[in-house]
Amino acid sequence: MVVRLPLSYKKQDEKDVNKNDKALANLLVVDDDSDIAHALKQGLLKNGFLVSVFTNPEEALKSFQSNSKDYYCLMLSDIRMPGMSGIRLARKVKQINPNVKVVLMTSFEINDNEFSKVFPSTQVDGFVQKPVGIKNLTNKILDTIGETKRRLYEQQ
Amino acid sequence: MINRSVESSDIESVMEWFEEGIEDGENSILVYPNLQAFREIYTQYVKDHLLAREQEEQKENEVDNNNNDYYLDGNTRRKGQFLMPRIILIATFYDTVNAVKHNLSAVGIDVQSHIDDGSLLIVDAFDGYYPNMDGMKKLVVTLSERARREGRIGVSVISNMGFFFLYDGDGTASELISYETSLPSKTDGGNVRGFSCYHTRDYENLFDSQKREILAQPQKKLLEVTESAVASL
Repeated sequence: MVVRLPLSYKKQDEKDVNKNDKALANLLVVDDDSDIAHALKQGLLKNGFLVSVFTNPEEALKSFQSNSKDYYCLMLSDIRMPGMSGIRLARKVKQINPNVKVVLMTSFEINDNEFSKVFPSTQVDGFVQKPVGIKNLTNKILDTIGETKRRLYEQQ
Repeated sequence: MINRSVESSDIESVMEWFEEGIEDGENSILVYPNLQAFREIYTQYVKDHLLAREQEEQKENEVDNNNNDYYLDGNTRRKGQFLMPRIILIATFYDTVNAVKHNLSAVGIDVQSHIDDGSLLIVDAFDGYYPNMDGMKKLVVTLSERARREGRIGVSVISNMGFFFLYDGDGTASELISYETSLPSKTDGGNVRGFSCYHTRDYENLFDSQKREILAQPQKKLLEVTESAVASL
């Protein structure tokens, strides 16, 4: 008797990344909406990033803490999440590694100026308004992490 | 402090608490286990108040067409009596205003018509509490006055308190405590029922002493809606 089991998401994702030989960057993606989190993971993996996705910001922080401080190149996080907002999460990861890039996503209209007034102590490298297409998101990430990575991406 | 706990699958008990556990003029605390449960709660509340009214109106119109003598004086309900429902204010935080509208429409509520006739107001809680924490209170006072003017039953305020955890949740939720303690547990003659709604992950960020401060006023009631045992299987 042969029992066929479906491949887990994780296995599939790793396979996708391996196709690219070398990932562009290691991203930490956090969104409490599991549908959005899954869609982001699939889209970013296809564009050559290595992606760790969390729907619980506290678990995301644990992952950030448990790896070497430069393990993640960029964190992409929703802002309004119960338990720990993206702003608080951003503050905590920046405390661990001030060089990590942080891009925050929101479905709400908060412009950069207003955001800066409310949270002057939080350094954020970019904002993304949801819903966002994977192509635009990829460009935003590449803009944030630097020209070298963009060249690598364009060579793919 | 009067605590009660029900499972999220027991929506009838949750609604019973909204209707009978809290009186006009009272401010209360609701702790919900997840966003889906919160969506079900506000959807059911609006459905009970506004969809039921839509259906009654429809029935009245049918009766009106068949029998012009239906409306009587005295103890019998007169036409238009139920046309003055509560004003329901939903201050959303984790869902967008459009998402709330979508959730309500999905259960058959004619959202736009209720917004147009002033029975339903959906706002982003961020705008209610920022830049001035009293913004929400001013809005509620305005609605309370309008409800009286229009002969409405009263106002229900379902406000998600997530805003207060956006930047100040490390156990120093001083603004939240200051806001909550400024809300009287009961105002005699008041026509507003206030429901401060907390995601359990936000609420658990508070120290026990802070929870006690929020609930400190006698008679302030708390309903904790817990994850349904069935749903978690």
